[in-house]
Amino acid sequence: MDELLPFLISGLGVGAVYAMSGVGLVVLYRSSGVLNFAFGALGAIGAYVAWSLLEHDWPQALAWAAAVLTSVLLSLAYGRWLAPKLAPRDPTIRSIGTLGFALVVLGFTEWTWGEQPRRLVLPTDSLAFEFALAGGDVRLTYTRALGLLLALLMMAAVALLLSRTRVGLKMRALANDRDLSALLGIRVLQVDTVAWLLSGAFAGVCGLLLANIVRLQATLLTFLVIPAFAAAIVGRLRSLPATVAGGIVIGVLEAMAIKMPGFAPFRTATPFLIALAMILMARGNERPA
Amino acid sequence: MNLSALPALRLVAALIAVAASGAAFGQAKCGLNTGKAAAGEPIMIGAVVGKTGPDDFSASAQAAAAYFKCVNANGGINGRPVEYIVADDQWNPETAAQVASKLVKDRKVVVLAGNTSFVECGANAKMYADEGVMVIAGTGVPRECFFAKNYVPINSGPRISATIAAMYAAKTYQSKRMVCIIPNIPSLGNWGCEGAKAWGKANGVEVETIAIDPGSADATSTMLQAAAKKPDTIIMHMPKGLLVPMMAAAEQQGMGKKIHFVSSAPAYNADVPKAIGPYWNKNFAVNLEFNPLSAAGPDNKNWQAVLDQFGAKSDPRDTFSQAGYVAARLVTETLLKMDPKKIDRASVSDALRKVSDFRSDILCKPFYVGSGNRHNANNSGPMAIVDGNGFANVPGGCVTADDPELVDVRADELKLGLK
Amino acid sequence: MSANWIAGAAVRVDADDLAQVQPALAGVSRQAWRSFALMVGTVLLIGLVLPWFSNAYWIKTLTSALALSVAAAGVAVLYGQLGLVSLCQYALLGAGGWAALRVSHGLAWPFELCVLVGGVTSCAIGMLAGLPALRMKGLYLALVTMMMAGGFQVVINVFGFPDGGAGWLGKVQGSERLLMVRPAVAPSDAAYLRYVAVWLAAVLALIELHRRTRAGRSWALIRRGDAAAIAAGVNILRYQTWAFGLAGFCAGVGGALLAGAVGQLDGRAFAASESVMMFALTVVGGVTHWAGALIAGLLLRAVPALLTDFGVNGYLAMIFFGAALLHALITAPSGVAGQLVGALAALRARLNRARHSAP
Repeated sequence: MDELLPFLISGLGVGAVYAMSGVGLVVLYRSSGVLNFAFGALGAIGAYVAWSLLEHDWPQALAWAAAVLTSVLLSLAYGRWLAPKLAPRDPTIRSIGTLGFALVVLGFTEWTWGEQPRRLVLPTDSLAFEFALAGGDVRLTYTRALGLLLALLMMAAVALLLSRTRVGLKMRALANDRDLSALLGIRVLQVDTVAWLLSGAFAGVCGLLLANIVRLQATLLTFLVIPAFAAAIVGRLRSLPATVAGGIVIGVLEAMAIKMPGFAPFRTATPFLIALAMILMARGNERPA
Repeated sequence: MNLSALPALRLVAALIAVAASGAAFGQAKCGLNTGKAAAGEPIMIGAVVGKTGPDDFSASAQAAAAYFKCVNANGGINGRPVEYIVADDQWNPETAAQVASKLVKDRKVVVLAGNTSFVECGANAKMYADEGVMVIAGTGVPRECFFAKNYVPINSGPRISATIAAMYAAKTYQSKRMVCIIPNIPSLGNWGCEGAKAWGKANGVEVETIAIDPGSADATSTMLQAAAKKPDTIIMHMPKGLLVPMMAAAEQQGMGKKIHFVSSAPAYNADVPKAIGPYWNKNFAVNLEFNPLSAAGPDNKNWQAVLDQFGAKSDPRDTFSQAGYVAARLVTETLLKMDPKKIDRASVSDALRKVSDFRSDILCKPFYVGSGNRHNANNSGPMAIVDGNGFANVPGGCVTADDPELVDVRADELKLGLK
Repeated sequence: MSANWIAGAAVRVDADDLAQVQPALAGVSRQAWRSFALMVGTVLLIGLVLPWFSNAYWIKTLTSALALSVAAAGVAVLYGQLGLVSLCQYALLGAGGWAALRVSHGLAWPFELCVLVGGVTSCAIGMLAGLPALRMKGLYLALVTMMMAGGFQVVINVFGFPDGGAGWLGKVQGSERLLMVRPAVAPSDAAYLRYVAVWLAAVLALIELHRRTRAGRSWALIRRGDAAAIAAGVNILRYQTWAFGLAGFCAGVGGALLAGAVGQLDGRAFAASESVMMFALTVVGGVTHWAGALIAGLLLRAVPALLTDFGVNGYLAMIFFGAALLHALITAPSGVAGQLVGALAALRARLNRARHSAP
């Protein structure tokens, strides 16, 4: 157990990553019924924008704001212009539409910035919590601790939004039955705008932190959305606390798996195995008759 | 001073400056150096590079293209111009097989030069052998590139590179226990660190390997795992895109203070020192497959001149580029020795196999091809250390790898009459 | 409501009605067999004619495209007939390819047998993958299959594909990696293209036969709802699992054919995103008509190859692809095949009108 502690702590960094992305995905799903495959791509382009601005010596806060703004604008563009055209189709097709959008954004990002090794450095990287453990010394940078904190804050904020505000109520109604909600007089476009705006903002923040904690590389960041779906599955695409807990557990187990002799080469499969286990154990979601 | 003489003086000064800069760059020298454009029947030469994907390896083909343009502007191959066709295999073996088919069977190239790809050796080596076409590759990466009859990489390869890095660490840091971190890509993960391991076994140094998943999001755990083995040196052996986040993770864990870090050749790139940051200043030694990019040798300067005059400004001036230039030069000089009317695939392959003393100050030792079953003529290189935003040379010059696997290559060298 | 109709309604049939119904039924049956023959004939004709018009690059590309069409046909069965989303078809293709390669290198069996081994392996795995479908709603099932594809991506990157070595994994150490032995009747690239077309025709015929028999009717009932199916006496477990098995078989055959085309398979080409793209492009091609699978294969391989041939930067091609995917999803709900069939039908109607109205 002593040998596993350092990995538990290092796993918290990755776990925060999965948790945040999971919350971002669940938020959009709960408000528009769409699984957003473009979540990672939107975050990636935001991170590259921030990197470019920092290279040109812009102040930190402005660079981050520009990154989040980029993601929000792109998300809004899709949500207001393209998503309504797919609205009459079933949820799977609407989600595949976001995949097309992800390819466009990813292709643009790779084409514009090219493949040069880059690092997104945040000022919180240089400070860390130090742990001197029997299994080895470990440091948890402030960035990763911040990621954990943000995951919890985002979860609380979204939960509040959905349960206590009028917009949140309308979002839940829309996710439940779009046509009926429109008939009841809910302004669909207005609510959709809020949902995609929120999703874009989350994507931007996640993108910045992901680019720092994992790697500033567009294709990898885009397809990290797939393990993030695992965290969303643990939360049954419904419960935000379960998503956050699931994401952190997945990250920690993936890190600790490095110490399991036979399993270590397969440890990147941990998110998928946990998601599958959760699904097989879950008793809900019966098929409609 | 007479005011009216000022413009004239300025003009003279300008002319002197132009002449001086021209002398600094040098006029690019290639092929016959006649300065006249070639206008005969074109000779088809091809290249397969991995451009779209995890990294962009097209610099070697870009340098070879610049060289062939220079050749075409200087009399061609005894009057015949070179038509150079580059194909992108998109890091996919299926695509690599398709584009190689296009080059070899549709466009009927007589030779390929300047290839650099992670996937095309495995996919195409057999087809090249079956079709009798030689490949003077810029850079080979996986094992198949160094174990094929018709594939001749100019670089030394990851296994040699890591071996030399390990030898350096043992000599400079008296290191006795090392960990080699490598991605688990087929034919790389189970081969790239084995040279260092085998050398270490024969020299009292223990080398352990950690194979990582290149798609993993968690670099910190890997570095912690490496540190848990209590090494005194860690050999980083991965493409630069993977290297930077792992070095960042090592920096965040403060590992640079307790453990020496060395790397194989992929880290020798102008963007790496800036990306990994000042923490690694003078703390990160890298093996080079060729002599340094800023070396003063005439061929190295010629490479830069060729790129300046015939390449694009955006072409990277990195080690892949050096490799592509050397490959193109080797092919050109071999073709120039042949009868221009008898240039076909079989005769070109024959002539290439006879190459036994190709010299360039970019390479540590003379290069050769030979008729062996595999080719790894370049098996030495110098070391450099990260210094500020660039690299500084390390004393010791070129080191030849002492890898037990090279025994057949050494036998081939003896047969060719080389030392 | 539907239960009442099936169980309760009594219909009186008299001799006159029978006399009219039988020739009508015979006519419909004839029409059905005609379209079946047209499908098989068209695919075989394509296979025969293509090598004459293609250079080596396109022969290789189109072989890959047809092999992937086989797998896309499986996706179309699941989504078109049953409305079930499978985002792990490319992973099943990889599993089939793995089995075919292992058997070919290790036991030196004839190519056809290796393809069948690949098909049966993926059929079995597909049936296992389909078990969660008995309890899942649409998007959830999609996510489950995507997780399986993600798991396969990791596993295949660790194990790699067999290339002539011994042992369970069949990976060679220290010597040359072997290529899969081509079928005896089709060693050259051009002949192999025709060979793959024959397999495609056979698989499409197999699917079509399923659709026209009890399996197809059971699937249609399952699609309407569990209650309708149970009331009609359909064994949901058997027919749904069988659909997944059939889709898996298609994937496995496609994988074996792809392995034979390229000679080797590489784990890095089997990311989870490939399975998602395969589903997306199958929907774009069209899931109800057999031509949709053919179009999906072309979209997956021939269109990128065309862009590469024109020297279009790979990332610009990605942008174009994403935009085209969005456009196709928005404007063509029944896929490109649906649009083509609709256009053909409109053309035929106009020609008929012209013929009938001409004096």
